[in-house]
Amino acid sequence: MKMQILGDRLCISDVRELGTANADSFREQARAALTPAQKDIDVDLSQTLFVDSCGLGALISLHKTACSRQGALRLLHPAPPVLQILELTRMHRLFEIVKS
Amino acid sequence: MPGSSPAFARPVTLRRTLACDLAGVRPAVQIVRAFLAEQGWGEGDLMSFDLALAEACNNAIEYAVGAGRDQPIMVEAVSDAMQVEFRIHDHTPGFDWPETLKLPSPESESGRGLWLIASLMNYAGYFRGRGGNILVLRKSRPSVAPPVKPRPEPERAGNAAEKDAIINDMVEELSSCYESLSAIFRYSGELGQTGSLQEFARRLLGDLLRILQADWFVLRLVPKDKLELAVFAASEPALELGPLTPAALAGEGRQPLELEAALTRQTVWFDAEKPPAPDDPLAKPGKGSAGMAHPILLGGRLIGTLTLGRRRTAGAVPARTGATFTAAQTNVVNTFADFLAIQIANARFQEEQLNQRLVAHELEIARNIQRSLLPATLPQVAGFSLAAFCRSAREVGGDFYDTLKLGEDALLLVIADVMGKGIPAAMFAAILRSLLRASPELTRQPSALLTRVNRLMCRELSDVDMFITAQVALVDGAARKITTASAGHCPLALAAARTVRGISPEGMPLGIKPDTIFEDETADLPENCRVLLYSDGLTETLDRGGKPFGQARLFNWLLQTAAGWQTAEKLKDELVAELDAHHAGAALRDDQTFLILCG
Repeated sequence: MKMQILGDRLCISDVRELGTANADSFREQARAALTPAQKDIDVDLSQTLFVDSCGLGALISLHKTACSRQGALRLLHPAPPVLQILELTRMHRLFEIVKS
Repeated sequence: MPGSSPAFARPVTLRRTLACDLAGVRPAVQIVRAFLAEQGWGEGDLMSFDLALAEACNNAIEYAVGAGRDQPIMVEAVSDAMQVEFRIHDHTPGFDWPETLKLPSPESESGRGLWLIASLMNYAGYFRGRGGNILVLRKSRPSVAPPVKPRPEPERAGNAAEKDAIINDMVEELSSCYESLSAIFRYSGELGQTGSLQEFARRLLGDLLRILQADWFVLRLVPKDKLELAVFAASEPALELGPLTPAALAGEGRQPLELEAALTRQTVWFDAEKPPAPDDPLAKPGKGSAGMAHPILLGGRLIGTLTLGRRRTAGAVPARTGATFTAAQTNVVNTFADFLAIQIANARFQEEQLNQRLVAHELEIARNIQRSLLPATLPQVAGFSLAAFCRSAREVGGDFYDTLKLGEDALLLVIADVMGKGIPAAMFAAILRSLLRASPELTRQPSALLTRVNRLMCRELSDVDMFITAQVALVDGAARKITTASAGHCPLALAAARTVRGISPEGMPLGIKPDTIFEDETADLPENCRVLLYSDGLTETLDRGGKPFGQARLFNWLLQTAAGWQTAEKLKDELVAELDAHHAGAALRDDQTFLILCG
């Protein structure tokens, strides 16, 4: 997993899986990378092959973090299977999703 | 089609065990994925299986407590030409599978696992056992086949002991499934041949005892019209105990366990550690008995409970946790209970249909009797016209009328209403008619006629808690007088040019007291008079809003018919039209009968 700070935005990429086994560490690492200057969070899901309910929980948690800073969470380029899960659980109504 | 390919014709099974550790879930799921890819499942389905299995295994691990954390989780995948079935065996206390699955609020960070499982699979069933549970998931093959790949051998278990345990489990489960299926098929074939549902249930559950190696059963059903659990069948007479009602409490203020299973709609377990209270009917099989009380449901409706148990045998340790029924056996109980629920519902439906046919047949007979009692033609007296009307309600009451001509100038008019419906009411009407006609010497004395008839019928009527209201009127055409006596019947209405009044001499209904004395009341019949004898079906005719026609309206109608001379037949048609307009097609609740005399 890679994290990069671009001005007021935290960009997370190279996430292979987001499931029960790594959801907690994903959330904690992302929060630790945030400084007071960042309000928006981008999660690049183009390399993500698997997201389960715990992974969704971690994304919702980061969404709340961004909202508390008057920012937003964006999910970038999710692959079709991940997009399907987001739609199945109606998460596409909560997150801003940038499709490829 | 995959089904047409020999490569997928036979079911192929993969079994994996994984330690109770979240880190082991993804590797195990990847192995299952690779196995199913080889069975020709497409990428879209494989993604669904990945997620559903991961959610299922995560749940199994997260619910494990105490010693359950040391027990492995077993995942089975059985793929064939039509579908894949997953079975996830765990050793956790388990959880209640919700009746309906709903997504949590968007802001909630958890609670989507079961929703995902149910959404991604065609079927999800969760079977709880003592010390273990099975989650069964199924998904059908899509109609278009993916490329065919050669079928590999299923992966073998790692070591000999594990292999033996797996084979033993398989043998036990296959044996249970085979016996369940063969019992159900056998009994399905017998359906309709066996006359008694009770006998059918007893034999089916006897087989279930054998399959489960259990000792006893009690089947309780909720009767159609009572809020209770009544024993319908039991494996031995000593277990055929009284009904349980929601108010019933066993010892120590606890509800009987069967009632608890019915009210919570959950299986309730009992054993030496959680025994039934001493007053609970389930304490009857003896101390140390262990088993389960299972609610029987059909379409969400409670049909009853099925309780199965094993006795403590001499020298054996008391039954305790894990010593009763396994999850696979619970699954078998579930299958039998579902099958039985359908048979019970079918039998009840058929019984209801039969009863309805019998009632309809009885009503037809009663209608025929009632019709046969009515005079074919009405006698006439010079200077008067007479008309009669009788309309049966759907459930045929006991109304009837009769007319007798007494010489050239006199008529005897009778109207009666037998309390009750159907054949019994019609039979008493027939008896009354015969007795009235069998006393010619009294036909000119209405009160004496009623006194005699009452004395003759009173005992028979009171024996069956029935009674008859009747009115007898003697019309003397030459003297233009009417003499009437009443046995608790509606008043006779007599209308002259500007007045209408009811004549209602004292008298109790027939069948109440054998020594009742009736009275006669005589009135003049002026020119252009109208006389109406009627049953309460007229005044109690309801409109669509439930408002009765009423006596006042009936009398007013009779009064306003004074304008011009009219025949009784014409007035009859008018009154019928009035009644029809009032009830406006609403179902009749009682017969409508009247006699009308104009003169």
